[in-house]
Amino acid sequence: MQEEWASQNLVVIRTLMERAAVYRRALAPVMGLVGLTGIAAGVFGTARGFETARPFAAYWAAIAMVCMVEAFLLIRRQAIREVEPFWTPPTRRIAQAVAPAFFAGLVMGVLYFVEDTQRWDLVMLLVLIWMALYGLAMHAAGFFMPRGFRFFGWGYLVAGLGGMAWWVANPVPDAAVAPAFPWGSANVWMGILFGGGHAVYGLYLHFTEKSGQVV
Amino acid sequence: MNTKPFFQLDRVIHEKGRLPIVSLLAAAPELAFTEMRDTLKMTDGNLSMHIKTLQEAGFVSVTKSVRQRRPLTTCALTAAGRKAFAAYIDLLEEIVREARPGK
Repeated sequence: MQEEWASQNLVVIRTLMERAAVYRRALAPVMGLVGLTGIAAGVFGTARGFETARPFAAYWAAIAMVCMVEAFLLIRRQAIREVEPFWTPPTRRIAQAVAPAFFAGLVMGVLYFVEDTQRWDLVMLLVLIWMALYGLAMHAAGFFMPRGFRFFGWGYLVAGLGGMAWWVANPVPDAAVAPAFPWGSANVWMGILFGGGHAVYGLYLHFTEKSGQVV
Repeated sequence: MNTKPFFQLDRVIHEKGRLPIVSLLAAAPELAFTEMRDTLKMTDGNLSMHIKTLQEAGFVSVTKSVRQRRPLTTCALTAAGRKAFAAYIDLLEEIVREARPGK
């Protein structure tokens, strides 16, 4: 009897200790805003014709910065409203978890910026690399977040790697022109994958996330 | 069955309301009062009462500060609190171990 009770207590302790390490901020507004920003950026980038490597890499690096600032401000506002610190241990762990993949994405962007290729298929490959790296970052962050977040990361990883497999299986000649709009536009794909992916996940969270906390 | 470990359990920690508080604090350097209240779904009064008991036992330290012009109360386990919690876990594990000698 005592043994059963002791086992149950140990399980409760473990569960609570895990819960203390999980990120608690509501993510639906963050995902929704980042999704809308991504979609709008895809439309704007397409309209302005940022389709070669240098303008594309610079433009989306700037959009990534905008999204990070948006996320920071929304999360900070939640922390202030809840009278809680912003830089909590789970927040720090998430920042550490996403940093390597984000850094790799930044390096890829810089390489494309320097190389400034005009080939549409290589720019499209950057989109896929970014998606795969973003998926890895979100999956790593998911260890300190609700379980669904890791599936979100898997979604991006599968989309990126699946796209790369298609890219390898369908090589195009150097001088080939891009397919007709919208399929040859890297901005359209960024808008769909990055913006659309976040918007859909934001909507899902909006209807499933408990008010004020996500665990 | 050896009942000795059971009677050695720290009575301050070994309480339905206080064990969850200590468990949460054991997993973080410090936690905001509101964060604990929301996670444990306790009322302000209930949580305050248990924290006061833990504070009086020297297991928890409470820090009050002002952030963004609003009061912020954070709690952390003291060294004595961590030691007592570790001893509590050891005793629970001992109880389980003794009941399952073959495992």
